[in-house]
Amino acid sequence: MTSLVLSCTLIGIGLYGVLTRRDLVAVLASIEVMLGGAQVLLASYAAGVSVPAVGEGITVVVLATGAAEAAIGLALLVALVRRNKTRTDQIEEVRG
Amino acid sequence: MSGTVLWWGLAALAVVGALAVIAAREIMRMLLALGMFLLGVAGLYAYYGLQMLAVAELFVYIGGVLVLFLFAITSMGRDSEGRVVARRLDVGAIAVSAGVSVVLLVALQDALPAASGASLTVEQTAEALLGPLLPLFEVVGVLLLVALAAALAIVEGGDGR
Repeated sequence: MTSLVLSCTLIGIGLYGVLTRRDLVAVLASIEVMLGGAQVLLASYAAGVSVPAVGEGITVVVLATGAAEAAIGLALLVALVRRNKTRTDQIEEVRG
Repeated sequence: MSGTVLWWGLAALAVVGALAVIAAREIMRMLLALGMFLLGVAGLYAYYGLQMLAVAELFVYIGGVLVLFLFAITSMGRDSEGRVVARRLDVGAIAVSAGVSVVLLVALQDALPAASGASLTVEQTAEALLGPLLPLFEVVGVLLLVALAAALAIVEGGDGR
């Protein structure tokens, strides 16, 4: 139960960052905090699943998804910086 | 008893790091706070007996993602003095975040299995990942490859060509 409370707290903190920060790097970092919260919950239950290492396997998937998300997010950031846009309120269109 | 103190210490490290991420005004301090948060999460993995994941968290996130953040910021040409956030608290965002947290807490408290506290060694993890979980492991590899190709495509085509 304490792990669940910790996880939900971290997700809430990350969500607050996503909602309030305007800088793209800060938004990405806040998303990492939310992912970290989910990972903590998965890890806490990983050893409790009846099939060995299934919980840990799912955590590996979340970990890899987070790394992929950071890579694509930072690539988007570099592409936006070339257009002198680094804040979420400067991005007005999605094209392509 | 010492295990409980350790858990609370690691949880405090993660929560303080997360709070510092959303409160930091300078981008380098924010990244240092993110490193502190990730260190807390890696410690929690180790506490739960997931040795391989703890090391993977250190390598992939602190050694990889955090350095990727620093590399992106460096390539953006921004210095650490850049102000990145307004300090004013947003009551609406606090209400939404707290609401989502409470809903998750209520929804998940009966849905997840009780943790047994058993520990998984690196050998057991390797046997599982390269045994029954091999398809999952391969899918993760494909996901990372696609992400790498997508990141390259975005950066190459990001100037409108």
